[in-house]
Amino acid sequence: MINNKRTIWKYPWGYAESFIIVITLLILGFAINYIGKSTVSSIQWPVNLYLGIVIIILLLLIHFLFKKNPFVKWLSSIPAAISAICFYTFLVLLMGFIPQGSSKASGFIHEIGLSDIVSSHVFLFAQIYFLVILGLVTLRRSFPLKSNNIGFFLNHFGLWLTLFAASIGAGDLQRVTITVSKTNAVYYGVNQKGETIHDLGVAIQLKEFMDWEVEVDDFFEYGVCMGEKFHPVYDIGAAPAAYVITKHIKTNEINEGWISCGSFRFQGNFLKLSDRMLLVMAEPEPKKYSSKVKIYTTSGDDFETTIEVNKPVTVNGWKIYQLDYNHAMGKWSDISILELVKDPWIPVVYFGIFMLIAGALYMFWIGNKKKID
Amino acid sequence: MYILNFNNTAFITIALWIIGSLFILCYKKIKYSRLIGNLFTIIGTLVIIVFVIILWIEIERPPLRTLGETRLWYAVFLPIVGILTFIRWQYKWFLFYSLGLAILFLTINIINPENFDKTLIPALQSPWFVPHVIVYMLSYALLGVSSVVSAWGLYLIKFKTFKPELLNKADNLVYMGFSLLTLGLLFGAIWAKEAWGHYWTWDPKETWALLTWLCYLLYIHFRYKHKQKIITALWILALAFIVLLICWIGINYLAVSGYSVHTYSS
Repeated sequence: MINNKRTIWKYPWGYAESFIIVITLLILGFAINYIGKSTVSSIQWPVNLYLGIVIIILLLLIHFLFKKNPFVKWLSSIPAAISAICFYTFLVLLMGFIPQGSSKASGFIHEIGLSDIVSSHVFLFAQIYFLVILGLVTLRRSFPLKSNNIGFFLNHFGLWLTLFAASIGAGDLQRVTITVSKTNAVYYGVNQKGETIHDLGVAIQLKEFMDWEVEVDDFFEYGVCMGEKFHPVYDIGAAPAAYVITKHIKTNEINEGWISCGSFRFQGNFLKLSDRMLLVMAEPEPKKYSSKVKIYTTSGDDFETTIEVNKPVTVNGWKIYQLDYNHAMGKWSDISILELVKDPWIPVVYFGIFMLIAGALYMFWIGNKKKID
Repeated sequence: MYILNFNNTAFITIALWIIGSLFILCYKKIKYSRLIGNLFTIIGTLVIIVFVIILWIEIERPPLRTLGETRLWYAVFLPIVGILTFIRWQYKWFLFYSLGLAILFLTINIINPENFDKTLIPALQSPWFVPHVIVYMLSYALLGVSSVVSAWGLYLIKFKTFKPELLNKADNLVYMGFSLLTLGLLFGAIWAKEAWGHYWTWDPKETWALLTWLCYLLYIHFRYKHKQKIITALWILALAFIVLLICWIGINYLAVSGYSVHTYSS
């Protein structure tokens, strides 16, 4: 049995020491936030790269030079790991109950950093504590790497790499919102801090969707056709109907009339634009947010493409996402709101994520059978 | 609808799955019945896979755009995972659960053929949507059963009839459930990157999913070191499931829920 009379702080350390350290870090973190009235600002390229390399070298040195030191042994022990998981769990639990990032937050909770835990000192401490312990235990089991430690390595190193790259790379994440229109190419946007960014290296212009300009003169969500005209009627089978005026961009030819998608009760209505073109109204369904755009780059490679939700386009290190559009104008919107995202650390994060996926599949297949045998 | 006849295909598949399940149920009475049962469930699954492939070719786009198509994919992947897991671990209940869910999704599509015309909101039209949902459906079932084991264990301990093998069974369920939980989080992260530009935004559902994951992580590490501390382990397992339930259902009642990409009720 475990010796209950063991004096505290005498090696080997166990749960008591681990949790005292965690509680100290907690209090220290809250105190720094409270006294310093500051949040942790993320470091940027290339400082984060240098810091990352230094941390990795330190972990390697600690492992290879002081593997037998009782303190280093404790750092890669289960009690330390459990205390780190509990530390993290406690902070995430607070995040699960206290609304985060709300601008009107005030009072004690706000002052010790609990209204924005991710940027608080205590979260930074938890992150470092977690990564040091996870890193050292990964090293301990990986040198030398045995075949039955593959699952362990994939899960532990995968998690370490994902968290490490995500943390030190957070400062390099750029999210720029850009509102594009048909009139001219837009080359600037607004970043997450509200600053206008000019040197995007790309310019985007919204393209015309077709050769016709369409103006919606009248619209009823529930309309029924009586004679020549649609009327707003709220009745079973009433269908959306619109009075539209179209103008051909080049020939200035004008057409106007009612269109409706119809329903099980009423026939649909369409407008003939030319011998080969009909304007019809599609069945109401969630809109497909997409933008047909022309993209100009500094390297001179200009191209036209379509950006859709879930289908971002990659240009010059930016990923361009469909973010929003002019809701009132719907399909005939003349502006489109795009978001340009640059996240240079994503390949490293993904490398970690795919290691974790491989580790999870391995774990599913192996289960804990090994440990029972 | 499509040139293909969905209803007939679905009926054939469901029939094959049910026949297969019956063979597996009475495996002691008939020779080779487990093998025959496996064959039937595999053929049933192949039928629905072929249907999806033909549908894909027929409509000239990946069938991922409508509610009905999504449910079709559930009916493809749930049995695949169920059958593989059965071959590996011989969990009959897990096979029946995954086949049962697949039959349910096919039946919903038979009853509501208009589901094939109901377009999903654009954010959901992603190849990551189906795997993300499926691994959670299966993970929650495995972890749910592990929590039943923990409750049963706590009951047995009270009457001093507890046997440590019971917790070893729960451990295996947790390992499998936890690995699927990990996949669910990661698939969600990759999808979020494609749809919203970042893989982690501390959305309330994400926060609680991480919390659930951390609780089971704690359990696994605790069990790894302290095989003898049964009661503590059973309590951690029970509490972890409560966190899981909050993440799954309770989150809508929390003050933080406000805006979440996981809320589709509006």
